[in-house]
Amino acid sequence: MNVNLRIWRQPGPNAPGRLVDYSLDEIDPSQSFLEMLDKLNEKLIHEGQEPVAFESDCREGICGNCGLVINGIAHGPKGACTTCEVRMRQFNSGDTITVEPFRAKAFPLIKDLVVNRSAFDRIMSKGGFVAVNTGSAQDANLIPIHKDDAERAMDAAACIGCGACVAACPNASASLFVGAKVSQFTWLPQGQVERHTRVLKMVKQMDSEGFGDCSNHAECEAACPKEISISNIGRMRREYTKAVFAAV
Amino acid sequence: MINLQNIKISSVTKKLLTGITGLSLVLFLVAHLIGNLTLFAGPEVFNAYAQFLHHFMHGMFIRLAEFGLFSFFVIHIWSAVSVSLSKRKARPSRYAVEGNAGGKSKKSLHSLNMIISGSIILLFVLVHLNHFKFADHEAVGTMTLANGVEVQNVYRLVVGSFQGNFGYVLFYMLAMGVLCSHLMHGVWSAVQSLGLARPSTLPYLHIGGMAVAIALAVGFFLLPLLIFMMRGTFDPNAMPDPVHHASLLLNRLIPG
Amino acid sequence: MSAKKTLDAKIPPGPVTEKWTQHKFNMKLVNPANKRKHTVIVVGTGLAGASAAASLGELGYNVLNFCIQDSPRRAHSVAAQGGINAAKNYQNDGDSVYRLFYDTVKGGDFRAREANVHRLAEVSVSIIDQCVAQGVPFAREYGGMLSNRSFGGAQVSRTFYARGQTGQQLLLGAYGALMRQVEEGKVKLFPRREMLDLVKVNDVARGIICRNLVTGELERYAADAVLLCTGGYSTVFYLSTNAVNCNATAAWRCYKRGAYFANPCFTQIHPTCIPRFGETQSKLTLMSESLRNDGRVWVPKRKGDDRKPSEIPETERDYFLEAKYPAFGNLVPRDIASRNAQEVCQEGRGVGPTGYAVYLDFGEAIQRLGKDVIAQRYGNLFAMYHEITGDDPYETPMMIYPAPHYTMGGLWVDYNLMTTVNGLFALGEANFSDHGANRLGASALMQGLADGYFVIPYTLGNYLATTKLDPVTTESPEFDAVAAEVQAGVDKLMSIKGKTTADEIHRELGNIMIDEVGMSRHEKGLNRALEEIPRIREKFWNDLCIPGDAKDYNKELEKAGRVADFLELGELMARDALERKESCGGHFRLESQDSEGEAKRDDENFTHVAAWRFRGEDKVPERCVEALEYENVKPSQRSYK
Repeated sequence: MNVNLRIWRQPGPNAPGRLVDYSLDEIDPSQSFLEMLDKLNEKLIHEGQEPVAFESDCREGICGNCGLVINGIAHGPKGACTTCEVRMRQFNSGDTITVEPFRAKAFPLIKDLVVNRSAFDRIMSKGGFVAVNTGSAQDANLIPIHKDDAERAMDAAACIGCGACVAACPNASASLFVGAKVSQFTWLPQGQVERHTRVLKMVKQMDSEGFGDCSNHAECEAACPKEISISNIGRMRREYTKAVFAAV
Repeated sequence: MINLQNIKISSVTKKLLTGITGLSLVLFLVAHLIGNLTLFAGPEVFNAYAQFLHHFMHGMFIRLAEFGLFSFFVIHIWSAVSVSLSKRKARPSRYAVEGNAGGKSKKSLHSLNMIISGSIILLFVLVHLNHFKFADHEAVGTMTLANGVEVQNVYRLVVGSFQGNFGYVLFYMLAMGVLCSHLMHGVWSAVQSLGLARPSTLPYLHIGGMAVAIALAVGFFLLPLLIFMMRGTFDPNAMPDPVHHASLLLNRLIPG
Repeated sequence: MSAKKTLDAKIPPGPVTEKWTQHKFNMKLVNPANKRKHTVIVVGTGLAGASAAASLGELGYNVLNFCIQDSPRRAHSVAAQGGINAAKNYQNDGDSVYRLFYDTVKGGDFRAREANVHRLAEVSVSIIDQCVAQGVPFAREYGGMLSNRSFGGAQVSRTFYARGQTGQQLLLGAYGALMRQVEEGKVKLFPRREMLDLVKVNDVARGIICRNLVTGELERYAADAVLLCTGGYSTVFYLSTNAVNCNATAAWRCYKRGAYFANPCFTQIHPTCIPRFGETQSKLTLMSESLRNDGRVWVPKRKGDDRKPSEIPETERDYFLEAKYPAFGNLVPRDIASRNAQEVCQEGRGVGPTGYAVYLDFGEAIQRLGKDVIAQRYGNLFAMYHEITGDDPYETPMMIYPAPHYTMGGLWVDYNLMTTVNGLFALGEANFSDHGANRLGASALMQGLADGYFVIPYTLGNYLATTKLDPVTTESPEFDAVAAEVQAGVDKLMSIKGKTTADEIHRELGNIMIDEVGMSRHEKGLNRALEEIPRIREKFWNDLCIPGDAKDYNKELEKAGRVADFLELGELMARDALERKESCGGHFRLESQDSEGEAKRDDENFTHVAAWRFRGEDKVPERCVEALEYENVKPSQRSYK
């Protein structure tokens, strides 16, 4: 099959960017989208041009490194998968595919399709953990955890930190990311001690990073490769309200 | 130690405020709609209802309600504008292609244009208040109820306004369409903003919210239309009917 | 055998069960007030790196933590699916520290160091405690207790898991702890940095040279010790289950600075991966081994039989694992399953478009258990397979083929995890120590965390407390010299300006590696590899093409640097495989098999670790040995018949 690509090219954070047209043929439908881009890059290199910069690592949907907006949808049209899991057979031969980077002020662009998502790390550093030093843990089975609670915590913990929620959100909000982390620890007894400070600090950091506010479009959930529910955002708000009342 | 500094108006607080004020305004609309339905019962009931509102708790109720509504409006508008501004700031360069991921996404024309629909509603409210609340009441005239009390003839104002001018009816209908759009996303979103949605209730909540939006809009939009179309039923110059059972009922309700 | 120099692993005296306890007591401590005077470099943020950096930060050291990704959370540990072993014996099924130790030594085919393995089994217990306390959402039973499963043919249920995301969840726990230390100011994070060289001052590791992957600048960092937690080198095969950015560069550059590279030929091939479909494929996807519990492996009996699987009658199918290993059938260990699959494919009986795949058939299981039960057990795996291949495993048999997955070899370390370079430590998959010639399922996560949480905090303290270290600055002549060499290396790569991309050369190397240094090896093939690899290397240095600028985000330059190192490491792997004239674990020499075609160890000549010493470019490295002694587990020949 062959496709026409319109790819965002931007040499650096301060350089102007634009969509550049490419066409590529002899694509194997079982290729992944990123392998198709690999192929394009090899072609570009052979033609003496600079390849398209994009990120990927595990190429099996778990590391959260890859992230492209394909035809206006973060991680592409299939849903519940990362960009690296998108296969070319989801497109038709002759399609025109627009590829853009994750766009958000809090994710400054580095080059072409590569953005900097360190804002997530900084949010995590404010409370995405249980403050327990190595060696000070009690026996793992001392605190029973209800199976359902463990499952719910796991549902929230499944977040891979790819940033698609931000990319997909019309407001570029990070509420789903923060909501998921807050929820995970809310469900677990280990998370209770820091329950209030965690949500307050993480939300504060989220706001200071320049993410937009949430408008409940739920586009984040639809784009999330791990299908994390927006009910986690609701839970974050409940936790936040409780924390506010605990503080005053 | 929890630091109050962390709690200043955060994005979450903003959502809570938008949600509380939004839901309250929806409740007001429900009450308003129910009140409006008294139009069907004829001039004396409607006018008496108006009189009741103005004199309940020696007029304190209406002042409190108006103050409450006004401040909720201001907060709602402020938080909404703030959210809308944050959106622009948070994504300085826009996507060339905008898509919708489908599935569980609730992104729609309604949700994307809340600020526009909200602005139109604000405009409408200003026109609406100007027309009815700040109307020239001397020109409207009065009516004497069955119990002999003289009240403002708001009935005549309302019915007369809509029967006089189809353009005005059309304006109302369009405004209610916009209100519907605002509430299609607004109702469920307010509940979610307050963190009241559970995973199990989320899907129903969204449908329920849309149902409320449609019910309210249809209710509000039917009134002007019916008034315009059913000239026999709605007569701006109708006079009190002393034997009307509603008037008898009102006799007891309304302070002299 | 060409052993010239033997290595001292500094194994503490005493019975194996007492060694670690005694050693912990005997080691010197660093005074709390002095810890903050020490700076430690940790390269890598996977399970080993993140857990080490966090733990050392908690102790009060100043930690500089580097990773090539944009965030520490992306390290390839995230991809581990199955679980993590621990000798908790929560299931009351007879597990114990000693049994885990025993299983690991045996599973490693008697090429692991007993003392290390026992320590690993001991601390495995604390790892689970630590992770649960961090909020890792392990699977639970209805009573609220932790759930376990049996994994990789183990006879006890000792594997803890968090859905299919165990690695991800454990890493998030360690990453959370790490980010907490970042917030506390004890750890400084340097993402998007690639370590390109080690700086030694007075023969002691004192710093590293990194390339900033965004700006292309070379950066210098000095410290009192350097911890290498950079993972394994499976991507030397180009196609593997590892992430595409996994590389051996940091370890390889340390090798060139005097750290011995141990057992490079010990690689693990995972039997149940989705086969390759064509030339442009960038990676192989692993599917859980649990598929072999119900799936039956077969190929057509006739060569070149290209009928659809459904058209091949039972009588013309060869269920080769069941036929050859009646006792274990489809559940034979990874290396045996892999090797047999390769054999039938090399006979020309492989299936699929490339002929390098075997069927994994659930038809019989679906008939026996019903589609619902199968869907419940493997639903997500079937969906994943369907997504990738376009075939529905409920309707047609899956196709699988083995893929390189894990490398047991790595930098040689002593009992304290220190390499042959003083002050340079290697943790996790980057070292060689605990898995011998073959790693058991669910043991990689265990080792990474054991090294980072519970071993290095003690042994590093001992090193710092007992070593006199003069202050160094990054402006010292030693740093200048190494930085100049690194710069020259980058310039050399950029100046080739040929026509072949790094990936194309990597693929070429990968083909040779998988053919000759893959699942089964023989003298002729290894010699061919030793001839071919230098040829590819020459092509690389003459015809490589790197577009763009070195002072920029330049993925091609990154790749080229890594491929350059793989081209040398690949040769060392072949050399190591050639010298080890026995079969053991993942290393199968065709020349060394018993009458039934099973791997035959040569304990007399090869009960040792082969650690290679770099002697200079274009010189054959020296093969040094560390003799292995088995005082507790008596070597026996594995049998799965």
